[in-house]
Amino acid sequence: MDAWLDPVLLSRAQFAFIAAFHILWPPLTIGLSLVLFWWETMWLRTGSAYYYRQARFWTRIFVLNFGVGVVSGLPMEFAFGTNWGPFSIATGNFIGNILGFETVLAFATEAGFLGIMVFGWNRVPAPMHLFATGMVVLGGVFSAFWIMVANAWMQTPRGAVIVDGKFVVTDFLEAIFTPDLVHSFTHMFLACIELSTVVMAGFGAWYFLKRRHVDFFLPMFKFAALATAIVAPLQIVVGDLAGSALAEHQPAKLAAVEAHWHTNPPGEGAAWSVIAWPDTAAQENRWALEIPNALSLIVTHSLTGEVKGLRDFPPADQPPVWIPYYAFRVMVAAGVFIALLAIWTLVRWRHGQLQGSRVCDQRWLMRAWIAAIPAVYLALEAGWFVREVGRQPWLVYGLIRTSEGAGTLTTGSVLWSLSGFVLSYAVIGIVAFVFARRIAVEGPDLQSSLPRRWGYKPAPTPAGSVSSENERLS
Amino acid sequence: MDASSTLPMLATIWFLIVGLFLMFYVVLDGFDLGVGILSLFVKEEARRGMMMNSLGTVWDANETWIVIVGGTLFGAFPLAFGVVFQALYIPVMLMLFGFIFRGVAFEFRHLARREAVWEWSFGIGSLIAAGAQGLALGGLLQGPSVEQGRFVGGPFDWLTPFSLLATAGVLVGYTLLGTTYLMIRMQGTMEYRLYGLARYLAVAMLAVAAAVSLWCPFRYAWIFDRWFSLPDFYYYASLPALALFAFTMLFRSLAQRRTVAPFVWTLLIFVASFAGLGATFFPYLVPGTITVFEAAAAPNTLVFMLAIVSFFIPIMIFYNAYQYAVFSGKLEEYAGSGENQSH
Repeated sequence: MDAWLDPVLLSRAQFAFIAAFHILWPPLTIGLSLVLFWWETMWLRTGSAYYYRQARFWTRIFVLNFGVGVVSGLPMEFAFGTNWGPFSIATGNFIGNILGFETVLAFATEAGFLGIMVFGWNRVPAPMHLFATGMVVLGGVFSAFWIMVANAWMQTPRGAVIVDGKFVVTDFLEAIFTPDLVHSFTHMFLACIELSTVVMAGFGAWYFLKRRHVDFFLPMFKFAALATAIVAPLQIVVGDLAGSALAEHQPAKLAAVEAHWHTNPPGEGAAWSVIAWPDTAAQENRWALEIPNALSLIVTHSLTGEVKGLRDFPPADQPPVWIPYYAFRVMVAAGVFIALLAIWTLVRWRHGQLQGSRVCDQRWLMRAWIAAIPAVYLALEAGWFVREVGRQPWLVYGLIRTSEGAGTLTTGSVLWSLSGFVLSYAVIGIVAFVFARRIAVEGPDLQSSLPRRWGYKPAPTPAGSVSSENERLS
Repeated sequence: MDASSTLPMLATIWFLIVGLFLMFYVVLDGFDLGVGILSLFVKEEARRGMMMNSLGTVWDANETWIVIVGGTLFGAFPLAFGVVFQALYIPVMLMLFGFIFRGVAFEFRHLARREAVWEWSFGIGSLIAAGAQGLALGGLLQGPSVEQGRFVGGPFDWLTPFSLLATAGVLVGYTLLGTTYLMIRMQGTMEYRLYGLARYLAVAMLAVAAAVSLWCPFRYAWIFDRWFSLPDFYYYASLPALALFAFTMLFRSLAQRRTVAPFVWTLLIFVASFAGLGATFFPYLVPGTITVFEAAAAPNTLVFMLAIVSFFIPIMIFYNAYQYAVFSGKLEEYAGSGENQSH
C-alpha cells in the first residue's frame, strides 16, 4: 500500500496520465489539418461548394479538438521541470534544445496562424487564408517531428556523451536522426492520418445510418475509406519494420512485448504467443498459446533467427511485461481490424453497394466504421503504452534510470496535482465528446453564402465582429 | 572556439532572449488574463461573451509565448528549469489548472447550452492562472533554497507575505492591462466605465510596485549595494523614472479618455518594471544561488539554438503582429443591453 504513495511512482503515474490524455488530441489535429488544406485548395481551384462546406464543417471538429490538445499539452512541457528536474538538468543540452525548437519553430507557427485559419474567412484574401491553413499543417507536422526526435533519442540515445552527469552533444545530426527516429516518426505520422480518415469515415457512417446528408457525406466517406485502405496496411508494414528494429536496438523491450523469456538456441525458431500469462517472479509464462517459429519469422524474417529472451537481462533491467505484452496485442488487433474493414469497404464499393442511398443499407459495414473510431484511438493509446512502458526501467535507454530522473517532491504535492489532472481531464474529455456529438447532430451548414474565392474586398460585416466556427447559428 | 570565454556572452544573450519571450508573454497573455478577471465582475451575460470574443482570435497565440518560454528556458538554462519549477510546484500546477479551464472555455462556450458555465470557467481559470503566476513570481524573487543544484526547500516555501504582495501586484497589473485593452476593443457604456476603473487599478499598481522596490534592497544586501552605489545608481534609477513617467502619462491619457494611449502606457509600465527586475537580479536566475552562467547549457547547444531561434524571432513577431492587424478594430456593441441578464 505504501508503495503507491511513493512520490516517484506518483510522478510516473501523473506523467503517464497526462501524456496518455494528451496524445488523444494532436493526431486528429494533424491529420485533419492536412485534409482541410486539401479541401481548401480544391475549393479555390474548382469553386465547388462541396469542398468549402466540408472544410467549414470539419473545421468545427478541428477547433474543438485543437483546444483540448493545447491545454493538455502545456502541462506536459512543465512536467519536465516540476516532476523530472534531475532528468531535465541531465538531458537539457539535447532534450531542452529540441523542445525549444519545437515551441519556436513549430508550435508557435501553428498558434500564430490558427486564428486566421479559423476566423479569417472573408477577412483576408483567399490565398492568404490557404497559406494560413498550410502553416497550421506545417506547424502540426513539425511539432510531431521534434517531439518524436526527443522521444526517439530517449529510446536510442546517440551523438552525446555524459560529462559530470550531464549529456553534452557531440554531433547534433546524429542525436537528431537516431536509429529509432525514422520508424517511429513514420509510424506516428501514419497514425495521425489513419486516425483522421477513420474518424471521417466513422462520422460519414453515422450519418448514413441516420439517413441524413447522404449525398454530402458520401464523397467524403469514399475518400476517407480509400485513404484508410492505403494507410492502414502501410501502417502494419511500418510497424513490422519498427519491431525488427527493436530487436537490434531495444531487445529487452521486444522480449517484454512478446513475453519471450528464453533466447531460442541456434537452429531452433522462437515461438510467438497469441496470448500468455507472464509471471515475472518465475521469469517465464505460466501458460501460453503459441505458434512455433512465428516470432523468429516476424522479427528476423527467418524461421530460426535468434530473438533474445528476457532472461538474458538482469531483472533490474527488465521492463514490466504485462502492459507492453497486452497493449501490443490490442494495437495489432485494432490495426488489423481497421485494415480489413477498409479493404472490405473497397470490395463493397466495387460491387456498387456504396452508390447513392444504397450506402444506407450497408448497416453492418457502417456500424463497423463507427466501432472503428474507438478502435483507432485504442490502437493509438496502446501503441504509446508499448513504446513508453517498454522503455522502462530507463528514461534514457541504458543510461539514466527512471528513478534517477525524478525530482524530490512530497507525496502530498503529487497526489494533489495528480487528482487535479484526473478531475480536470475527466471533465474536459467528457464535455469535448458530448460537444463533438452535438456538432455531428447539428450537421453541416449547407445554406450560408459562399465567400469570394479570388480577389479580396472588405466584407460587408462590421469591422471587428468575429464569430467562432462553433458559434451557433441563431 | 574557446568555450570558457564565449559562455558568459552566450548565457547573457540567452538571458535576454528568454527574457524577451517572457515579456511578450506577460504583456500579451497579461491582458487576456486581465480581461478574464474583469469578466468575473460583469453581470450581463452578453457583455461577458463580448469580452471573450475580443480574445477569441488571439488568446491561443498569446498563451503560446509561455510555451516558448518553457521550451527555451529548458534548452538554454536546464538547471534553472529543473530547479525553479520544482520549487514552485504548487503555483505552477495551479497555473496549469487555470490555463486548462480558461483555454477550453473559448470553444466550449459556443457549443454549450448554458454558456454561463464556460464564461465562469474562463473568468475563474484566468484568476487562478494570474494569481498562481503572482505566487510563483514572489516565490522566485525571495529565492528558493538551493544546495548544489538541487531544490532543498519545502512544498510551501513560496507562500509568504511577500509572495501575496507580488500576487496582488500581478492581479492588479493584469487587470489594468485587460481594462486598457478593452478600451481599444469595446465601445458604448462599457468603455465609459473602464476609465474610472483603470484609475483605481493604476494607483494600486503604483503602490505595489513601490512596495516591491522597497523590499528588494532590504531582502538582499547585494541589491542594496548595487542600487545605491555610484555611478550604478544613475543607471538603475532610469528604469523607475521611466515607470513613473509612464504612470504620469497613463493618468493623463485616462483623464483625456484616449482610446489606445492608456494601453500603450500600461505596456510601458510593464516593460520598465520587467527590465528593472531583470537588471536588478542579473546574473541570478534563482536569486542568490544560481546564476545564468551556472545554469546555462553547454556552449555548443547555446550556439546551435541561437543560430536557429534568432532566425525565427523576427518571423514570429511578424506573423503575430499580422494576426493582430487582421483582427483589429472595435467590437460591435451588442443589441439590447438589458435583456440578457445573468441569473
